Amino acid sequence: MTATNVKVNGAAKSSRFSFKAIIRDAGIGLALIGLIVIFSLSSEHFLAANNITNILTQITINLILAVGLTFVILIAGIDLSVGSVLAFAAVVAGKAITLPGLGPTEAIMLAVMAALLAGTLCGLLNGLISAYWGLPSFIITLGMLNIARGGALHISEAQTIYSFPEQFNDFGSASIFGIPVVFIVALVLVGIAWFVLHKTVFGRMIYGIGNNEEAVRLAGHPVFWYKVAAFTICGLTAGVAAIVYMARLNISSPIAGIGFELNAIAAVIIGGTSLMGGRGSIQGTLLGAFIIGVLANGLILIGLNDFMRQMITGLVIIVAVVLDHYREKYTKV
Amino acid sequence: MSTTPVHNQDLLESPDEEILRVESLRKHFGGVKALQGVNFSLKRGEVHALVGENGAGKSTLIKILTGVHSMDGGKIFLNGSEYQPENPRQAKAQGMQVVHQEFNLLTHLSVAENICFEAFPKTRLGLLDRNEMNRRARAAMEAIGLSDVNVSDSISQWGIAYRQLVEIARALQSKSQILILDEPTATLTDRETDKLFQIIDTIKKQGVTVVFVSHHLNEVFSICDRVTVFRSGESIITEKIADTTPEKVVSHMVGKHLELEMAHNFEAHELGEIALSADRLRVPQSPHESGVSFELRYGEVLGIAGLVGAGRTELLRSLFGVQQIASGCLLRDQSEVVFKKPRDAIDAGIGFVTEDRKEEGLILDMSIAENSSLASIEQVSSAGLMQIGRENELARKNGEVLKLKYGQLKDNVSSLSGGNQQKVVLAKWIARQPEVLLLDEPTRGVDVGAKAEIYSILRSLAREGKALLVVSSEMPELITLCDRILVLADHQIKGELAPDEFSQERILQLAYKGN
Repeated sequence: MTATNVKVNGAAKSSRFSFKAIIRDAGIGLALIGLIVIFSLSSEHFLAANNITNILTQITINLILAVGLTFVILIAGIDLSVGSVLAFAAVVAGKAITLPGLGPTEAIMLAVMAALLAGTLCGLLNGLISAYWGLPSFIITLGMLNIARGGALHISEAQTIYSFPEQFNDFGSASIFGIPVVFIVALVLVGIAWFVLHKTVFGRMIYGIGNNEEAVRLAGHPVFWYKVAAFTICGLTAGVAAIVYMARLNISSPIAGIGFELNAIAAVIIGGTSLMGGRGSIQGTLLGAFIIGVLANGLILIGLNDFMRQMITGLVIIVAVVLDHYREKYTKV
Repeated sequence: MSTTPVHNQDLLESPDEEILRVESLRKHFGGVKALQGVNFSLKRGEVHALVGENGAGKSTLIKILTGVHSMDGGKIFLNGSEYQPENPRQAKAQGMQVVHQEFNLLTHLSVAENICFEAFPKTRLGLLDRNEMNRRARAAMEAIGLSDVNVSDSISQWGIAYRQLVEIARALQSKSQILILDEPTATLTDRETDKLFQIIDTIKKQGVTVVFVSHHLNEVFSICDRVTVFRSGESIITEKIADTTPEKVVSHMVGKHLELEMAHNFEAHELGEIALSADRLRVPQSPHESGVSFELRYGEVLGIAGLVGAGRTELLRSLFGVQQIASGCLLRDQSEVVFKKPRDAIDAGIGFVTEDRKEEGLILDMSIAENSSLASIEQVSSAGLMQIGRENELARKNGEVLKLKYGQLKDNVSSLSGGNQQKVVLAKWIARQPEVLLLDEPTRGVDVGAKAEIYSILRSLAREGKALLVVSSEMPELITLCDRILVLADHQIKGELAPDEFSQERILQLAYKGN
């Protein structure tokens, strides 16, 4: 008996759904505006130009990691390794940039290539292994989290690498009209990701796989490679984040990025991307990263200590997931 | 609480006592009437068969009796008092037990844990009383005649057949007046079926009433006392097995008036070359070395009839490369092909309209346009970039051909009615203009109007020279649509019917012949 499959009254439901969709997408933006209003009323420093620059700098790395994670989470995967991969890529790049006998430009070019390559490779492995054997990416990337961290510590002999070319650090601290250049890099990544997700066949398949992998497979598409690609992109963005990290702090540390994966996942989830895959957006991720960054900055400005800040950020994550649950419920019926 | 049967005394006193009576029971799901006035009764200690085609209403009745669904109208009396369980727990508490077709066992737990799962015995400290649990489990297994079982073994070591017996033991372990067995033999071998029948005999003697749902009439006639026939949500007749014959039962299932309604209303036409043929093709699930052989020609609609579990879906999935074939070969345009994945089949000009549009056919959260282009994405993109204009154009064009009713192309497919959703699945494949189209239950859950439209679309595809292979549980559908019907039972072709031989009775006879 398949009678339960029958749907009636479709038109009314679809308009209700799109109304909800507007509220939902606007909801994250409204929450962000609300936070900004509250903080600017409670602290005169909050809207000061240098504080805004501060916030933008602080959210850059999280945003870059979250962009890559959006791809993975959209296909109902997860990548826990991005923080460690960042450290691994930074250490590899740090070794490259400090090779003796290189001019500053060559050294920087080499370091950038090395970081991107290291990150991409880690992501590729995550994707190949979890997609080939159909294993939960949670476990595979948990493994990679340890491998990359161990690799970073091993290669660097647990030492911080420093004394990079000055131009590299200049890039990390440069800003245009108060907007940090590294943040602009992150925004460009958001733009590229938006284009890929909404304008390309690849993006279409990412959403399709997250929604109904079997339908995509039966339509003849190479689901395996799309999945691998999503993880590879995530590794690549961890490589980009490593470069930003090095440029900002002027060091490569094997213990960089510990716990970064959780903040990045939080940004994606707060931004409305479903952990079940198939639903979400890169704009949401951008807003999610902003909410986390604004919270972190604002709560300290109004005099809460770092521990309270952490508690409240945690609360926001839980609220976001509860809201996600209701979204699923209302849109699936 | 020891093992069951509570009413041995009553049984002896009044062997013909009515235990359950159902009066004009009605149930609908949305616009679909699943039950429209079912009447039947059970006598204490009898084995009562429920038979009928797929969708005749047997499962819905069982779900109402066991508290899964509520009823929309009518009355049920259990032991003379009104019975209206709100949930499965209440139904069980009143002695209504069911063993489903799909198992509800916890695979990694032991036999004893599975049997006692609904009410674990506890020690005085509130801990699990393992000895008592094992004792109860042994008693429950002995009650169905299985005494040589180590109840501490994990269920996962057991075959399907024994798992079913464990389910029966579990069901009987609590107070049972009525035990419903839903298609219990579907996955059993002959020997296992014999064992099951012995057990049914044992529990019947203990005064438990057994409701036996089966597609296999020979089984019904070998163990049941009475049979009730269902058709289109109604109970047609209840007869004593001793007073009827399998032929009579089949004709009740089909219904004479229906046969007049459906007509094979198109003329014979020229068929083209062989488009697709199978030679001793064997799917991995098939127990028969010989496999199946058939030929499908251009311009032909070939139907595959058969009961659930006959291997129809598996066959289609093998033809499309979703699963590998175990042996035999497949020929496309008379040369051998091997499809390792759906892409290979698609590249060979084959499309596959899957059985379950929600699980396999559609991406419900995506728009009509996005779903329509899913199988032909290269037509609506260039260099990896989506061409939204071209995509909308394709969806609009195919929507027109298929008389799709929708608001906007960017609406989610989940907003469409079942019939229109199914048309989107068709649109997805028609966009590729496949030479061969495989269809699994093409009008399931679709209303009558949309059905007729889908039939005419499929016929016109055949007129254009496409080759269509249609699997359906609805015999009128095959009779209306097909040029030829193959009847599949137990992964073997039991017969082939030409249009002048089409009749539901003939199909059912062949379908039941398999067992």
